[in-house]
Amino acid sequence: MSFPVRKSVFVGIAGMSLIGTVAGCAPSAQAPAAQSAAAQSTAASAGSATSSAPAAASGYKDGTYSADGNYVSPNGTETVGVELTLSGGTVSGVNITQHPSNPNTRKFQGEFAGGIAAQIVGKSLDELNVSKVAGSSLTSGGFNQAVEKIKSEAR
Amino acid sequence: MPHPGWAAFSFDGIGTSWEISTPGPLDGGQRRRLLDVVETYDAAWSRFRADSIVAQAAREPGRLRMPDGAGALGRLYRNLYRLTDGAMTPLIGGSLEQLGYGPDYSLRPRGTPVPAPRWDDVLDWNDAVLTTTAPVVLDVGAAGKGQLADLLAAELRSLGAGEYFIDASGDLLNSGPVPVAVALEHPYDPGRAIGTLSLGTGALCASAANRRAWGDGLHHVLDGTTGAPVRTVVATWALAEDAMTADALATALFFVSGKALQQDFAFSWLTVFSDGSAAYSAGFEGVLFE
Repeated sequence: MSFPVRKSVFVGIAGMSLIGTVAGCAPSAQAPAAQSAAAQSTAASAGSATSSAPAAASGYKDGTYSADGNYVSPNGTETVGVELTLSGGTVSGVNITQHPSNPNTRKFQGEFAGGIAAQIVGKSLDELNVSKVAGSSLTSGGFNQAVEKIKSEAR
Repeated sequence: MPHPGWAAFSFDGIGTSWEISTPGPLDGGQRRRLLDVVETYDAAWSRFRADSIVAQAAREPGRLRMPDGAGALGRLYRNLYRLTDGAMTPLIGGSLEQLGYGPDYSLRPRGTPVPAPRWDDVLDWNDAVLTTTAPVVLDVGAAGKGQLADLLAAELRSLGAGEYFIDASGDLLNSGPVPVAVALEHPYDPGRAIGTLSLGTGALCASAANRRAWGDGLHHVLDGTTGAPVRTVVATWALAEDAMTADALATALFFVSGKALQQDFAFSWLTVFSDGSAAYSAGFEGVLFE
């Protein structure tokens, strides 16, 4: 099962690099949708006047940008939408929305509100004081034997 | 072993391994009675043996008299068929065979996915009597293991063994009263867990797409409306009073949110998605590692 584990780690890494990539591309991704916010800011106005002073730092105009990115999950490629809000050359808001092509995935969107959301974290069974494992379709007896075998071979 | 000093009775049944733990060892007669329960169930419901009752339904339409308990199974399936808009169906066997999960275990798809037939087109499930109007491949795998655990529990009670713990390969049923510490298997790594909980009286059943997976993106949890494997949800757990309900709901969570199912069922749920995120009901609060 090392293959899916590696993939699951990859998802996390891909997710992180995705934000960086989208931020880097944001200005060319789409026209800013919130120009009025920039107009109200003197710093931003001054920036605009000098052909973007904030640009000296970031190169980005204030506004809301959106772009899509792909990542590979254990079940294939999925698409996420990222929406960034920039003000004063810094990111003031990030929204990530999943809008995958698969209808089942779509169905689950918005249903997160139905429960408590979390991110799973794995711990080695060695660290745990349990007598049973609730898993799927694999014998936990055979499973425990395999774990014991691995442990004894590792000694 | 759920408790130190308990005795275990291990056997294979309906294609998986079982372990029944009791405070003292079961004698030969008790063991035989339990194995008879397993055999009766397998002879009725296994689509992997040619002499089963459901194997007849695959050959020709007709009227099938199923054993006691079929009525409860049918009502549960019918309820979940409605709640999942037809995605969860006992008529999924043909779709599974199409993708290679048939009695020959070829695990090679015969072609593109085939949706299951619509229930009302081919099947009338009236208590323990099933009437079909076309050859159909019945597969009650989503709830059958849980139901067999319940039937074994009932048999244990009738044998005077009121205290037991049944482990049906990771689907668990505890008679209580003493709770058992249980790890939730990591969907991608059987050497790891994503949380632990204390299982009191009741059933904890799991379903995951990583088990019985064969080939690229093909696994055994299929959407009855398309006949293709479900994506995105990778693992589920359901806590309920009985194992049949917990088992079925663990599968239903692949198609419907736990919140929606809670309107019809008293149960607790945990759903893990392919991106590593999870959602759960209050009953699973504090269970996941942080």
